[in-house]
Amino acid sequence: MKLSTKGRYSLQTLVFLATCTENCSIRKISEATGISSGYLEQLMIPLRHAGLVEADRGVLGGYRLAREGITCHDVLAASEGDFNPAPCKECAKTGKCKTHQIWSLMQNTVVDFSKEVTIEELADKLVDSGTGGGV
Amino acid sequence: MKISTRGRYGLRLLVDIAEHGESGPIALSVVAKRQNLSEKYLQQVALLLTRGGFLSSVKGSGGGYLLKQQSEEIKIYDVLDLLEGSITFEEEVEGESAIEQVIRLHFYRPLDEQVARAFEGLTLADVTQAAWFTYVI
Repeated sequence: MKLSTKGRYSLQTLVFLATCTENCSIRKISEATGISSGYLEQLMIPLRHAGLVEADRGVLGGYRLAREGITCHDVLAASEGDFNPAPCKECAKTGKCKTHQIWSLMQNTVVDFSKEVTIEELADKLVDSGTGGGV
Repeated sequence: MKISTRGRYGLRLLVDIAEHGESGPIALSVVAKRQNLSEKYLQQVALLLTRGGFLSSVKGSGGGYLLKQQSEEIKIYDVLDLLEGSITFEEEVEGESAIEQVIRLHFYRPLDEQVARAFEGLTLADVTQAAWFTYVI
């Protein structure tokens, strides 16, 4: 069980953005994360729609976090479309199926925990590690 | 992130065998019919579960599959770990960046620990006995 590449890359992108004090160009994010510019442009679309990042055009343009307190769950819910580890949502047997309970437990555990971890927390760790970020 | 078809089918297979296998081996054709799952696919999953030490196969007429251990001894976490290849989010990548490392150590790893804690002590027997439902929810 793994997060999709989209989900993992989106987390990386937002953690990096959280260390930036000004707008950050796609090129700069690409250099820091190793994710290609083209792919970053794609990742940004759902993140913008979800109100997690904002962008300015022009010379001083680029991306920044749209708000404080963004959690890992916010990012994964936006980037994975439907962050639903358990597959039972549309199953007709819900309520009768015993394995359903296991998937619910899995889902609740993952969702609850990812709501507890904020992007800023992770960005602070990155800055503490001395390896930088966009500061 | 999604639990794979293999994970879903495998678990339903184990639960079915745990519930019906007391009087002898269960043929996959019976499980397929009862659970409305493809028998062909069940064969693959059963092979995996046998190799993983959760099922044993009995050949011949009247053959099929049995639980290899008591259902009280089969840990759901171990089953999922086998069926999903690995149930953990953390994976060490060669030449990982500082950003990847921070996310791995401070999100994926504690997330894995949280999942392991949630499933600790949960066995196949708990799942087949409806009693479990009441205290999880």
